[in-house]
Amino acid sequence: MSRKLSENEYGKTASGRLKRWLDGDKDLFLDNVEMRPQKPFEEDEETKAKRAEEKKRVLKKVYDINNNRQVRVFEKIYRVSAALFCVLLVAMLLMAISQLPAIGEAERPVNNEVSERYIENGLQETGSVNIVTGMILDYRAFDTLGESHVLFIATCTVLILLRIDKNKKKELEEEQNDSIYEPENDAILQTVAKVLVPTIVIFGIYVILCGHLGPGGGFSGGAIIGAGLILYLNAFGFEKTERFFTAKTYKRLSFCALACYSLSKCYSFYTGANHIESVIPLGTPGAILSSGLILILNICVGIVVAGTMYTFFVMFRKGGY
Amino acid sequence: MAAIEWIRFLAGAFLLLFGLFIFLIEMIGVFRFKYVLNRMHAAAMGDTLGIGFSLVGLILMSGFTFTSLKLFFVIVFLWFSSPASSHLIARLEVTTDEEPEKHYHKYTIRELEEKLHKEA
Repeated sequence: MSRKLSENEYGKTASGRLKRWLDGDKDLFLDNVEMRPQKPFEEDEETKAKRAEEKKRVLKKVYDINNNRQVRVFEKIYRVSAALFCVLLVAMLLMAISQLPAIGEAERPVNNEVSERYIENGLQETGSVNIVTGMILDYRAFDTLGESHVLFIATCTVLILLRIDKNKKKELEEEQNDSIYEPENDAILQTVAKVLVPTIVIFGIYVILCGHLGPGGGFSGGAIIGAGLILYLNAFGFEKTERFFTAKTYKRLSFCALACYSLSKCYSFYTGANHIESVIPLGTPGAILSSGLILILNICVGIVVAGTMYTFFVMFRKGGY
Repeated sequence: MAAIEWIRFLAGAFLLLFGLFIFLIEMIGVFRFKYVLNRMHAAAMGDTLGIGFSLVGLILMSGFTFTSLKLFFVIVFLWFSSPASSHLIARLEVTTDEEPEKHYHKYTIRELEEKLHKEA
């Protein structure tokens, strides 16, 4: 421990409180809200019979087709109008199709000024040689931010659904452990992994860092790094990976990456909306440190995607880590 | 100069076509064989020999550039990873097969020794 303050004193500072809050050490409901366990729903025989009788009476009065004329008429009208609605819908869609412009016409809405502007001014405005990256991380960065959040939320949901309680884990392992057949400490796999894992991770980092120069970017590079981590896990087991990557690490990394993404995009939206000159230089196109925020955003997306891939694998295989 | 270029192109095209032919054999094997280990044998052939020939053909066609170096690394990567994954699948199949006597014969070491003695 490199910090000078003791554990008690550190807990009182602002950063200590933030760390406690992030770790979820303090239960907000404890001591503040009275908690009662939920009781199973019960009712005695008398009310049960009464309710059933009432239900029968209501059904007879409202839905009896043989005696209720209103219901009969409604049923007929409903079927006829449903058929009419379907025919109308089909006719409307066919009409809309017949009015679409022909393929290859110059006046089509696809050939509008937006794509022209992207192609002509993309390099100038975003500084990114790869126009696709310039589009998804500069012109449409809001969309990519939403995608990263979707990934994060999906992982949170998987964590909630598949996580196994630590107390119940031991019983489960004895009962339904189908992973005993999985090869453990396989010499061939370990030797191959020793060579391949560093290569895969370095290649993933290369793909992320060169996202604005060529094909690649955060999503593909993150997927590559995640695959490398999964290979490492399969070869060397959970004891090795848990030393550097647990659920806590994943949450912190994702939170930091998403917050970094949001804050940097906040800045560029603010400057763009108020017509202020952005401080971040675009640099010379083609260099690694160029194209403004795109490199940072690529790294953020890569971190989120890599963590998500790895976490999905771990949750589906073991249920908690 | 043009003759060398032509020879290079023809050699590359021949290797590429040969690789594709091996892929065809692989596909037939994967769909025709009934048992996992047999199918794996066919599939591994395409992953090593087929892709190797195809990529060597492409390297010959593109000359010695940075792209061909990348293709060479792809071959190296596949020749590392494909045998390892095949080994894992085969091992899992052998440990979980419920009726092994139906598909293959397991030799013990003593049986193998006896067999070798007989042959010698």
